Order: sequence, then C-alpha cells, then structure tokens
Amino acid sequence: MRRSPDFPVRRPVPPAGGPPAGFVPVVRQAGRATGRLVLAAATAFGSYLFITVLLLTAVGTVAVVGAFLLPETVLLVRRIAGAKRRQTAVWTGREIPEVYLPLTGTVRERVRTALRDPGTRTDFRWMAACYLYGWLPVLMVPLWPAGLVVDGVWCGLLRRRAVVLPLIGRLADLDAAWSTALLRPSPKARLTERVEELTQTRAGAIAAHAAELRRIERDLHDGTQARLVSLSMRIGLAKRACDRDPGSVRRLLSEAQDLAEEALTELRHVVRGVHPPILTDRGLVGAVRALAASSALEVAVRVDGLADAARAPAAVEAAAYFVVAESLTNSAKHSGAPTAEVRLTRVPRGLRVRVRDEGRGGADERGTGGTEPGAPLVSGDPGGVCAGARRGSVGVGTGLPGMRRRVAALDGTTTVSSPVGGPTVIEVELPCVW
Amino acid sequence: MRVVIAEDNALLREGLVLLLTSAGHEVAAVAGSGPEVLPALLGHRPDVAVLDVRMPPGFRDEGLRAALEARRRLPGLPVLVLSQYVEESYAAELLGGGASGVGYLLKDRVGRVDEFLDALERVAAGGTALDPEVVTELMTHRRDSPLDSLTPREREVLKLMAEGHDNTTIGRTLVITERSVSKHIGNVFLKLGLPPSDSGHRRVLAVLAYLRHR
Repeated sequence: MRRSPDFPVRRPVPPAGGPPAGFVPVVRQAGRATGRLVLAAATAFGSYLFITVLLLTAVGTVAVVGAFLLPETVLLVRRIAGAKRRQTAVWTGREIPEVYLPLTGTVRERVRTALRDPGTRTDFRWMAACYLYGWLPVLMVPLWPAGLVVDGVWCGLLRRRAVVLPLIGRLADLDAAWSTALLRPSPKARLTERVEELTQTRAGAIAAHAAELRRIERDLHDGTQARLVSLSMRIGLAKRACDRDPGSVRRLLSEAQDLAEEALTELRHVVRGVHPPILTDRGLVGAVRALAASSALEVAVRVDGLADAARAPAAVEAAAYFVVAESLTNSAKHSGAPTAEVRLTRVPRGLRVRVRDEGRGGADERGTGGTEPGAPLVSGDPGGVCAGARRGSVGVGTGLPGMRRRVAALDGTTTVSSPVGGPTVIEVELPCVW
Repeated sequence: MRVVIAEDNALLREGLVLLLTSAGHEVAAVAGSGPEVLPALLGHRPDVAVLDVRMPPGFRDEGLRAALEARRRLPGLPVLVLSQYVEESYAAELLGGGASGVGYLLKDRVGRVDEFLDALERVAAGGTALDPEVVTELMTHRRDSPLDSLTPREREVLKLMAEGHDNTTIGRTLVITERSVSKHIGNVFLKLGLPPSDSGHRRVLAVLAYLRHR
C-alpha cells in the first residue's frame, strides 16, 4: 500500500463572512478562490481530455494492447487524482488520505491488481463526476465583473457586506467539498489497506517469534545441554575413580562444579533474553530506572502518566524495555554523548517511549547494532562482563532494524531522527489498552 | 549461628538446610512464601537470614522487600539475599540502609560451599558480601573515570575489596603478601581521591559509595 507523502497543508483564511469586511480583503479572498478554481478548471479540462483519449484508445485497441496499457493508465489516473487531492487539501486544510494497492509483478498481476483496487474505482468515479461538475469554475467568469461593480459600490463605498465576490469563495468551497467526498478512499479501501498492513506485521511477528525460538533452542542445546552432559560425564568418571585413583576425584569434581556453574550462567542469560526478570519484579518504570542506573551514560528518566498500579500488557512492556535498552546501549557505544534522556509517556492510544542523546548523531539502520541479529547470546561472554550487550540482547536481533521489527510486530511506530552532529532521538509508540 | 531461611523452592530449601546444618549452624525457621518471611525474622531474630528475592505469592521481589522491612525494624539484622540473577539496583537498595551485615549473591554461589559459608559468616559478623558480578557491573560501565588509571592488579584488589573481603583473603586469592595488598589499597585510595582508611568495614563502605555514586 502506498500512502501519499506528507505535504505541508496551508490553512486558508476562513471565507469572508461575519462582520462587514473592507473591500480589499474581499477582493483578495476572491482572488485566492479564483486561483483555486482555475486549478480546478485545469484539472477538469485535463480529465475531459484524458477520458476522451482513454475512451478512444480503449475502443481502438481493447483487443490488442488495451489490457497491457491498463496498469499504466491507472497509474496516470492516480497521479491526476493525487494532484486534485493535494489542491483540495490546500484549500480546505484537511488532508485527503490516498490509499492504493501497489502495482507490482507481472503484467497479468498488475492488470488484476489495477482492476481489483477499490482506489481505481474511486478515481474513475471522481473522473466521471468531474464531467458533470467540472464546469463549475466557469461560473466565476461572469461573477468577477459583476462583483467588482456591485461590491465596489456596496462594500467599497457604502461600507456594507460584500455580496457577489464571496460567491467565488463559495464556488471553490463547493468544488472542494465535492472533490473531497468523491476522492476520499472508500471504507473498503481503508480496510483493505489495514488488512494488508496487519498481514505484513503479523508475518513479521511470526518470523521474529520463530527466529527467537530457534535462538533459544540453539543456546540451550549448544551451551547448557552440552555442559550438563559433560558435567554428568565427569561425575561418572569420579565415581569410577573413587577406588582406583582417589587423587583424580577431587580434580574431576572441581571440573564438574565449573561446568555446572557455566551452565547456570548460560541459563541466566537465556532467561534474561526470553523475558527480562526485572520487568516481572519491578514493572516497566522500575526496570527502565535500573537500566538507566547501570548505563554508561548519565541517564535522566522522565515518566508521565504511568501509574504504579496499572501496567501495560507484558508484550508492550517488554518491547518498550527492549527499545530503551537497545537505544541506551547504542548511545553509550556510538554517540559520544555523556548524557541521555528517557521519557515514558502514557498517550491516549498507548505508550510512547522516547530516548534522546546529544551525541554526534548519524545513527544508521545497520551499523549501530552491535552484534549481528541471531548471534548467540552468550558467545564470548561467559562471565557476563559485557553488561551493556547483555542487557541489549533482549529479543530478536539487535540494532535499529531489530527494534523496528519488534515494534512493528505490536503495530507500533518507530521514528528515528539522527542528523549528523546530533541529537539522536528515537521515538516509539506502542498502541495498547490499559 | 542461628539462621532463618526464606526460599520457596523445596529442593533448594532442603539443600540449604542440609548445607547449613552440616556446617554446624542451626536453622531456626524456614519460610516458604513472602508473607511468612517477616514474622519468622522478627520472631526468631536470627544471627543471619538467608533470603530468596523472588517468592510466592507474587513471584516478584517479596523476599527483598521483606529483607528491607526487617532491617528497618531491626536495624543491623544481617541478611544475605540470594537471587537467580543480580540487579545492580537491588544491591543499591540493600546497601542503602548501610552496608553493615548485608550480602547479595547469585544463587549459583551456593555451590561453592566454602566460599558461601565464608560469605555468610562475614555478613553475620556485620561485614559485606557482594556478588562479583555486581561489582564487575559497578566497575565496568562508567567511562572516563579515575578507575581507568588503576593498574590491573589494583583493579583486582579493588574488586575483591568491594565484594567485602579482608586483606588476608585478598592476599590469599591473588597470591600476594598482605603487605603488598595494603600497598595496592593505599594506591587505589590515592588514585580515587578517597580519604585513607584503615582496613575493615568503613573501607568497604567508602569503596562502594564511590562506585555507586560516580
């Protein structure tokens, strides 16, 4: 699904009305409306031409190449409709969402998508309607001379409310209202888009979950299990040696104890990776404060609206903790900043997490992760010396991509702003009810 | 010594009882859930208490809270807190009311029976026993600190000191004479800008305060 890029929306001056205005503002307002209507007329004219050409082409070549041209035609229609949406949004100040299925794949697939897309229907319906109301802007042509004369006397000389020129504004309003109604994506299109989005994030969540299970399996199998086997073997050897060689028993037992301790250490790391224990003990705020306290940076934690009693769903807490842990690890490793700030805010739709450092910025999507995704949790770190990496290794992969995946799996959004020279701000919103 | 044990896992509880009684200590009471802990501690007033952090019914940090509450009511009550994992902030909370008679160790350490009993006796005598992992975490995570100016040997000495060991143990662990231990400690205090302190508990407090409030 493609969404229209954000564009600045300029709020127009409210149409003239209310107290009697001077003549000049009335003219200026009418001028603005005229500009808008000229654009509307141009678009309408364009679509007249376009539809005519389209009909001719369709009739002429439907059997031969018509089908192949269809996706291209739909793309062109999307552009025209997109332009109209933007014009309308500039006038009304309200953006009209743009919802289309992406046209990709083979020609057959593209033709099918183009036909199936509810957005195509919306666009063609608007174009057909344009045939009917596209002439609206023409009305302003007689309104201008009449308005200048009538309102020039009525408003300019007699100081009464302008009557005729504001009608041009009304015309523009009418055109905008109709266009908005026609170009707004149908509920079905929005639903389709939502389904598409959910399908993607769900697939991502399942893949992440599977990868996570594989990692845990590998950690337990390669590390803990192997050590326990080796431990059991040494105890067996010690039993055999009891009679023959009492001297070696002590050595075997001490090796066995070492192995047991290593297995325990590994288990602890695996458990921490599955679900940080402190999250269970202390909740999100307590866990984040502990993270802040143990960070290499001076970290200020600000909490808004998170009561101690109410807790967010466990998955949301875990994701938020992961985001903070990961961001702070990255900040400590790469930013060069001495301080960072963590904000946890309860927002109407869920939980917002914001981590900011005043470092050198330039965090990219790949380089700042530390370990590769899927790297064994405990490799080369048997003693748990590397506190930052250990805390960061909560969940799927690491670095910004891992964070994005984890947040997207919960239908959340991740915004990273890290211009070269800093500051780096990572903001995550996790929707939830609590 | 009279010991009160608070541990919900039956296997570990029995293990601890076995370990302590075989070492000649008396187990005055065992508590299997959070609400039982405080009455047991207040009722028996043991020489030292061994507590698990996570206990039923909530399986959160009931044991730790009970330990803090007991120490509030009976100041100086020696507590040795055991945990499946170490968390620096828990150590900070325990030490917050003064490090005298406080221990915080990973459960794994119970396996090293001699060291565990040594730590228990240290705590009962009003000393400190901090898990090496906590101390490592305290020492590694800050940048640009005067700790960087310490030699590797001085770091080792500082680490053992923060764990609560005395000069004799430090010397034995690092296989150096007590005289050189004292010399290293003097250098550490000088480099960290701490006032020179005699051996003993005040020294541990100074070191921990330094590590925690950098």
